[in-house]
Amino acid sequence: MLRIVNRVLIGLVGLVLLALGGSVLAVGLGAPAPSWWIHQGRHDVLLTDAERTKWQDHAWWWPTVIAALAVLVLLILWWLTNVLRRRRLTEVLVDTGDGEGALLRGRALESVLANEANELNGVAQAHARLTGTRTAPETKVQLLLEPHVDPAIALSYLTAHALTHARNSAGLEKLPTEVRVKAVRHRQERVS
Amino acid sequence: MSELQGSEGTTQRLPVIEKAEYEPPPAPEFEPGREAGREGRFWSARRVPAAVVAVLLLAVTALFLYDIAAVRAHRPAMAWRRDLAHQLATRPLDDTWVLVGAGVTAVLGLWLLLLAATPGLRAVLPMRRPHADVRAGLHREAAALILRDRAMEVAGVQSAHVRVRRAHADVRAVCHFRELGDVRADLNTTLDEAIRGLGLSHPPALSVHVRRPGRKG
Repeated sequence: MLRIVNRVLIGLVGLVLLALGGSVLAVGLGAPAPSWWIHQGRHDVLLTDAERTKWQDHAWWWPTVIAALAVLVLLILWWLTNVLRRRRLTEVLVDTGDGEGALLRGRALESVLANEANELNGVAQAHARLTGTRTAPETKVQLLLEPHVDPAIALSYLTAHALTHARNSAGLEKLPTEVRVKAVRHRQERVS
Repeated sequence: MSELQGSEGTTQRLPVIEKAEYEPPPAPEFEPGREAGREGRFWSARRVPAAVVAVLLLAVTALFLYDIAAVRAHRPAMAWRRDLAHQLATRPLDDTWVLVGAGVTAVLGLWLLLLAATPGLRAVLPMRRPHADVRAGLHREAAALILRDRAMEVAGVQSAHVRVRRAHADVRAVCHFRELGDVRADLNTTLDEAIRGLGLSHPPALSVHVRRPGRKG
């Protein structure tokens, strides 16, 4: 979700910058401009006083400008807080099967998952983070592997043990997971 | 579970996964030879560019809002705004600085568009899914480290340098005994298996170069 918002907004800003810069560059270098465009030729200025003050005498102009800027500031603030805040799930809703629900602390599930992943053969370090929503949690797991283990095998172990346990113990139907695998850096030496 | 614990420090290869007593999930088990659907790239959330763009936009918008509101409240406008209006109204389009500024703006815009449209995360190679819900990526650096270690296991290899790119793995080994051809054949088999062991969705094509140490002693 945030990924899409980020990409759309970045793309929008990029498009505006490209259009402004490109058009000024094109007209400034002598390309013909359409008649409705703000710049008519290479000796035109960027923004004349007349153009700038065109609407100033209307009563609605300044309130509109201020309102638009205020809305823009609020939107950017919302965007910025969402970008800077690391969304982390604090609790997971567990369906106990009797019509009621129980709350599982997100940190508990994270640490169980990470601990279990850590115990797998060949995993030097594991880190887990819960995202998503209370009813549909997702996890992000980072694995640091030791040199002797094959990533494919480590991943299938992780899936069959740590992830399956976490999913079953929280009573979840599915637990979408994103795993990033890295390896412990070490010097060149014979492993076996 | 017990065979998984207390194994720190051992270097033995893991056995093929077995069904344990805890009632395994309906997850399809990993089979090295199985042809799975090709996984797409990982897409970056573009947090850093988003934060930078948001902060800059916020600064510019907030400054304008403050100054326009101040002027409406009958206070004098800041000097930069008068100066900006003056510059905008006097500099023609073919002024050098205007052209330079326009060029920089256009390039910046193009770059932002590229950031928005490309996946990024080039260092993360998608792995085959062991389960429909599990999506995994292997860092290129890790893949190179693992291939290097496997190459070092081949008899005769003194040192090995591995470079893993998105579609190719280049292995350069220095071989201090045995026939070069034998070593190359061994390296090819070992590394083919190692690449399969990486579990990548698009296994990189392998190219192996073997040479003797440049200078003796």
